[in-house]
Amino acid sequence: MSDTFSYLLMAWMDPNLLMLTALGTFAGIYIGAIPGLSVTMAVSILVSFTFSWDVNDALALIVGIFIGGVYGGARSAILLNIPGGPSSVATSFDGYPLAKRGEAGQAIGLSTVMSVIGGLIGTVVLALAAPLLGDLALKFAPRDYFLIAAIGLMLVGSLAEGSLAKGIFAVALGAIIGMVGMDPVTAEGRFTMGQMELMGGIHYVVVMIGLFGVAEALFQLHNLSTQAVKQKVDKIIPSVAMVLKFLPLSLRTSIIGVLVGVLPGVGGEIAALLAYDHAKRTVKNPTSPFGEGAYEGLVAPETANSAAVGSAYVPMLTLGMPGDAVTAVIIGALVIHGLNPGPMLMVENPHIFWFTVGNLALANIFLLIFGLMGIKLFAKVVELPKAVLIPLILVLCTVGSYSLNSSMTEVYWMLGFGLLGYFLKAFGFQMGPIILGVILGPLMDSSYRQAMASVGDNPVELLGEMVSSPLSLILTSALVLVLLSNTPLFGWLKRKRKAASVQP
Amino acid sequence: MLKQLLTGVAFSLSALTLALPAHAEYPERSIQAVIPWGAGGATDNVMRSLAPYVEKELGTKLILNNRPGGTAVIGSSYVMQQRANGYTLLLGAENPQLYPVLGLAKFDYSDFYPVNIIGQNVVVIATNADSPFNSMAELLAAAKEKPNTLRMGSTGAGGLPSTVHAMVNAVGELKVREVTFGGDGPGITALMGKHIDFMPLSLAAAQELVRSGKLKALAVLAAEEVPELPGVEPITKALPDIGEYLPWGPFWGAFVHKDTPDDIKQKLVEAYAKAVANEEFQGFLKNYGAQSLNLNGAEAEQFLKRWQSVTAWSMYKAKAIEISPDSVGIEQP
Amino acid sequence: MSTSKKVPVGEPTFCVLLVIFSLAVLYQAHLISGFSSISSPGAFPLGVAAVLLIAALRVLWELRGKPTHGEGWAASAKRLSHEHFPRHIVVFTLLSVAYLAVIQWASFYISTFAFLVLAIVYLRRGRVLSALMASGISVLAIYLLFTLAFSVYLP
Repeated sequence: MSDTFSYLLMAWMDPNLLMLTALGTFAGIYIGAIPGLSVTMAVSILVSFTFSWDVNDALALIVGIFIGGVYGGARSAILLNIPGGPSSVATSFDGYPLAKRGEAGQAIGLSTVMSVIGGLIGTVVLALAAPLLGDLALKFAPRDYFLIAAIGLMLVGSLAEGSLAKGIFAVALGAIIGMVGMDPVTAEGRFTMGQMELMGGIHYVVVMIGLFGVAEALFQLHNLSTQAVKQKVDKIIPSVAMVLKFLPLSLRTSIIGVLVGVLPGVGGEIAALLAYDHAKRTVKNPTSPFGEGAYEGLVAPETANSAAVGSAYVPMLTLGMPGDAVTAVIIGALVIHGLNPGPMLMVENPHIFWFTVGNLALANIFLLIFGLMGIKLFAKVVELPKAVLIPLILVLCTVGSYSLNSSMTEVYWMLGFGLLGYFLKAFGFQMGPIILGVILGPLMDSSYRQAMASVGDNPVELLGEMVSSPLSLILTSALVLVLLSNTPLFGWLKRKRKAASVQP
Repeated sequence: MLKQLLTGVAFSLSALTLALPAHAEYPERSIQAVIPWGAGGATDNVMRSLAPYVEKELGTKLILNNRPGGTAVIGSSYVMQQRANGYTLLLGAENPQLYPVLGLAKFDYSDFYPVNIIGQNVVVIATNADSPFNSMAELLAAAKEKPNTLRMGSTGAGGLPSTVHAMVNAVGELKVREVTFGGDGPGITALMGKHIDFMPLSLAAAQELVRSGKLKALAVLAAEEVPELPGVEPITKALPDIGEYLPWGPFWGAFVHKDTPDDIKQKLVEAYAKAVANEEFQGFLKNYGAQSLNLNGAEAEQFLKRWQSVTAWSMYKAKAIEISPDSVGIEQP
Repeated sequence: MSTSKKVPVGEPTFCVLLVIFSLAVLYQAHLISGFSSISSPGAFPLGVAAVLLIAALRVLWELRGKPTHGEGWAASAKRLSHEHFPRHIVVFTLLSVAYLAVIQWASFYISTFAFLVLAIVYLRRGRVLSALMASGISVLAIYLLFTLAFSVYLP
């Protein structure tokens, strides 16, 4: 027991580790905030860089970058409507409207505190329930992944302001974009029209930067003359009352984050989208309408994506399986340092587990500190004259796209998507559903194929399987419920009930 | 008098500089190394562990770049398109050797120069801990009884599971449902969750789980027992005919453009040979469950040729591919 | 009833283009593996492409009955170009395309600096000095961050 404690506090006591965690978190925030710089890329570089270090030092730095990076994307999502990373896509839905209203400071402050809450909950769950969660993750069959992706896609119902048909079109378009490239099973090209370059597919970050960044920049050119909204930066730290008000929601969305993050291959970005959807469906009286600057729309995704960080470690530490792209790289780091991630890791090297838990908690504390620092400065960015801001955004997007693969091809794609996005926006199509499709489409496709192949291409049997296990039953019912709520049926039922209650 | 002396000195000095080599010493800047697989995977781990030792031998930095996609087609094509000046390396696995017969690309490793064949891995047929099968023979019998009901995990065309599957089918019968995952990781998770029945895996990926009892190893794809997994029968016990294809396994190697100048090739070969032989790296390989090969030159080319012909022909025999290896210049093993 | 918000000019044409696009996508999806098997690589794309087409058709259908500007071709084209292609947008877009084309040829830092200065000066009509300063700081920041810290070698 005392061993466990000493491992837990290792990161807190050793000044070297303390410093490395702090450095990592700080760097992570800014890496995450710049679109195009991905946390995964930064961590891979670090793995080689820290090859000769002590494994604890390396891990401390990496943990900081992970936590900071997942949170950092919220900054540019709020300030510029460009998600810094896929896990911040949902944050931009309500974060950017808040910035437009002059509340960027509050938005960043709230997202910081919420990220820390989510992150700490994720860490606690990791500490207490890792083996349990690990076993739960194993129970997810391919059909369950398909159901989760389908539920996530239903978010389009909430996102499409105005025409649902336009929203569905956007989602389908995103799914098609996501499927361009080599088919994972048969290695034949899909939608590649014979072009070799397209076999690698279109990187979703490029789509994101183009649709959100470049298109938005071009759109803003219409408003060159409008004065930048003055940002109120006096009360950036949310009051205790506010935190308590959102506590029930943040707890629920943290749980969503934990459950989704623990699934191998599914990470914070999907957790954030599902959490946003949940908030939209369950919060009856948001502070503002969703999509126009509702605080709840910020709370949900930020808690979820940070909670997913802690739970992504679960399959990594208990089974040696990566919970998401970053933990896949961390597994590599452990291997290089001579440790073998797997079920034996917790038995032979328990110190890694407890050290990670303590480290994660520490990183979250630093997140609070660094996250709240410099907000005033950042909020002022939005106040820059548009004439300066827009070219800067374009340059930033260009650098970000280029750094993905050190090639200009991505930049040209970015421009193309930017132009496409501009016109789509002008004619009433939303960008959010497109990204939804790009992220969830391929997941749906591969899990559908796995599920279908498992039953030998027998659709009837597959439908039967959808209600065979308790997990699948729950997910299927959730999907059906969500589907129905999008149709007029629910509206009709609600009106009937209202009419009945009005009756004397 | 002085003037003549100075002129003479000047002339001899300039003559001296002319005598120095026409181009500067290689390497004079950092080298880009492309890993055509995702970060954290087996190939990535091996190459990242090796990199520091290579850097020491070459005296320059190795910038590792992951370019995954298309069963390594993306990364390999990229290296092919770069200039043949020795500043772009390809650090890949065995897959390109199958491109011609899978129709994935028009090239294979014969279009590159093998700097070093680093090592190879042993394949394990794994199943989940509570599986009703206890040996390869039982698995084969069950598959024969109910063809196309058992579920095998796969990683796509050209991946290890499908190649092994083809080999088994070439000498026996294993008709199963192939369920494709995005990599070893998701496949192993599905295996542990009992959503698939078995999966051929590399030892590196499976050994920890077998040792801790989460997975059961039915057989190793070798002619004898493997020291890392004592008690697991060799596959030749249930399928003696498969012996003609062994030894076989996924391998890792470092490659460079075929037209790279010879002296640069030589430098790279020496550096890698020493780096791979390094005791610490050898220890890493062993810990990882891999066998060190450290081949270069003619031996490497022979290894590559043999691997290609064995794999391609067994796949053709098992009707896993339609393109005849003959037609793309691959001789029979 | 419906508000009298007019349909933005160009939208009907755009939506028709989307329908044509969806048909092309459906065709491409079919090319993948036809109707061979329910778990083939083409199955899901085919389904999604069908959804795409249906949604595009529905969008077009929803446009009926909505008040448009009701102008002829020439007037509509003029309104479109006025709304979406006013001079400063066109100039900025051309500048951006030129910038991207030039990056690989001239060095990144030079072309970025030039682009920033030109764009800021153009959009703000003057104030060259502060534009130079802002561009200079930005390029320096990018250099520090990307090249030194992250080893991303910009051309």
